[in-house]
Amino acid sequence: MSKPTARNGAPQRRPGEEDDICPVCKSNRYLNPSMRFLINPECYHKMCESCVDRIFSQGPAPCPVAGCARTLRKQRFRKQTFEDLQIEREVDVRRRVAATFNRRESEFNTLLDYNNYLEEVETLTFNLLYNIDVATTEAKLAAYSKQNAADIANNKALSAQESASTEAQLAAQKEQARLRREAATNEEEEERREREEGRREIIDKIANSTEDPDKIAREGQKVVLKKSTARRNAADRLRAQDAASVDNASAPLFQIAGLKPITQPEPDKAYDPFGGYIIRPAYFTLQEQYEHPWLEKAKMDAQITAGGYDVGEYRARAMMEAFAGLGCFIEDEVAGRERAAGADVGTAAAAVAGGDGEGMGDDML
Amino acid sequence: MAVSPVVTYEATSNIKVTADKAKSLAVRTNSISNQNEAPPEKKQGGQELAERLNHETKEKYVKDKKLGEGTYAIVYLGHLKADPSSKVAIKKIKVNTEYRDGLSMDAIREVKYLQELSHPNIIALHAVFSSKNQNLNLVLEFLPLGDLEMLIKDSEGIRYGTAEVKAWMGMLGRAVWFCHENFVLHRDIKPNNLLIAADGEVKLADFGLARSFSDPYRLMTYQVITRWYRPPELLYGARFYSGAVDVWSMGTVFAELILRVPFIAGNTDIHQLELICQAIGTPTEENWPGVSKLEGYVGYEKAATVPVRGKDVYLARFGTAGPVGVDLLMSMLALDPRKRSTARQILEHKWWTTDPRPTAKEDLPKKGGGLEKMGDDLKRRGGEVEDGRGDKVARKLNFGTMK
Repeated sequence: MSKPTARNGAPQRRPGEEDDICPVCKSNRYLNPSMRFLINPECYHKMCESCVDRIFSQGPAPCPVAGCARTLRKQRFRKQTFEDLQIEREVDVRRRVAATFNRRESEFNTLLDYNNYLEEVETLTFNLLYNIDVATTEAKLAAYSKQNAADIANNKALSAQESASTEAQLAAQKEQARLRREAATNEEEEERREREEGRREIIDKIANSTEDPDKIAREGQKVVLKKSTARRNAADRLRAQDAASVDNASAPLFQIAGLKPITQPEPDKAYDPFGGYIIRPAYFTLQEQYEHPWLEKAKMDAQITAGGYDVGEYRARAMMEAFAGLGCFIEDEVAGRERAAGADVGTAAAAVAGGDGEGMGDDML
Repeated sequence: MAVSPVVTYEATSNIKVTADKAKSLAVRTNSISNQNEAPPEKKQGGQELAERLNHETKEKYVKDKKLGEGTYAIVYLGHLKADPSSKVAIKKIKVNTEYRDGLSMDAIREVKYLQELSHPNIIALHAVFSSKNQNLNLVLEFLPLGDLEMLIKDSEGIRYGTAEVKAWMGMLGRAVWFCHENFVLHRDIKPNNLLIAADGEVKLADFGLARSFSDPYRLMTYQVITRWYRPPELLYGARFYSGAVDVWSMGTVFAELILRVPFIAGNTDIHQLELICQAIGTPTEENWPGVSKLEGYVGYEKAATVPVRGKDVYLARFGTAGPVGVDLLMSMLALDPRKRSTARQILEHKWWTTDPRPTAKEDLPKKGGGLEKMGDDLKRRGGEVEDGRGDKVARKLNFGTMK
């Protein structure tokens, strides 16, 4: 490098500037002061922007660095972040692996399982970094990401959500701090104004009254003091409230270690419009037709049928009422109780009904 | 005497189909049996058994504070003495000037049917007792989240879609189906009788107008159901009707849930009929055989009749429910009650299983009507309408017209 300190005379060199010669076109910073170097994560060979434009504008082309010859695309060229290209590459690889292997500790049964998983991932990463078994490692990675696509997407969404909520929290905290600051300035302003007002009042009083000026002054002072104490108390209370609300807001940030893994909620069962109820007569089957002369008129009379009155409904009710009570075994229900004979009519009657119904089974549904 | 065990047992002896109901009764009998340790023949301090049981039930609950007061009832927040964390609503029915010599009809209906019906979508009646002056107290389930009407009306604050409508209608459908399956007509289904429990479950309340299905040739009154939700056969003065009246009300509630305004909101009974003709079609002998035989039927000129609206008209208005949902709505709003779906057919409809799936009850929009709203809802008498929204719709049961 011919003149490393030529620019702005700084004694230390900027990263990556010690050899400001493009390895492809050999142009240097002296000739081209606005020279920028770009790298491609395919092979991490450095070259200047004009070379990239020149070589890759027409589409993908092999890397011009001797002995590399990987096909590069212009789109993927970028500025390097780290001075050491090894580190640049390692960061890229780790980012790529982490995007695929994004399992969380909460998904594992034991910490040991999680650690084993981490170790495996690290071995994989290491292999990629130091080019050991690259082909098999890549295959492994591809297979894993194919198999667990859903989980990966899920965890990705989760972490995106987390970072979003963290950001929102930070913003809220900032806003709160701003409001507090504003309140403090307002308070100060008010206090100052009041003090001035008080002073003016005292002066007025002294001027307009015949009392002892010292006494008036002392009293006025007391009033001002009292006011400011009250205000300070109110402000303290407000601050305490604020603090409490901040605590509440930041509470979710606090993570408790050792949480149980969240089990996936069971898939929803099919919607049952009846809500699980089945009502079917247990002791009789309703016939379509019952011959009964009394009902004939109700079936024929337009005045009755036009309103929607349905003899069938009456039949169903009549049948139900005829068989009602058969499934009720009061005896069982009051088991252990001494039955007082004739204590109440209902129990006795129902017990009789229950006796009749025995052997018919007590399932109603 | 309102809660004398004899009444309970009478109920035991003549109702009952479902095991569920049997269970609920079992619970009730057990609770009574527990209090019954002492030999019942022995009178304590001259009290009769019924009085003593009533006293014991009364002692189990504590009234905390008043939630609301109407002309018909006062609603209190209460809790079990044994468990202060439990919450109940205690509805104290006022001694009525109209029924000085007994209990008001509404109270009897409410106790009679709520006592029998035990279903997650029907408000639970935990106990009944009488306090001093023979006041009737109903211990009801605590439902703090307001009613469906509130959610429908708050079109600014609350957004909901088909999945939510489906969930609400599903719960309403179950409640109505359960009532009908047990031969009870509710006769006052409307959004503000659909209360919302803490977990989002919709519960049918206000059984003040309920009755059981009628015997043949036994007249029923047609002065039931709040006008906007009243089916055409009642408007025509039908004295014989069936569960189809509740199904019509369900249909109008369904439409209201989608439109977010009452679907057919007439100012008078005649106006209501006019609006039904316009929205659904004019009832004629062709589409409703026998309709002209109904007492209140008024003939229409041929030219003035509106043909029964086709599916395209409904699709244009209720498109969000989807074509299958529109089918269901149309089947609920059939003019001829015999062609209307029954509650069971409604639940068997394929709309429930088509997409979108009904929202889980915990995820349904909530507004939090709070205690006062619950007090307001429960203090109404059967069929009573609040002031403001449609106070013109208010009507009264007129038993004098019943022959």
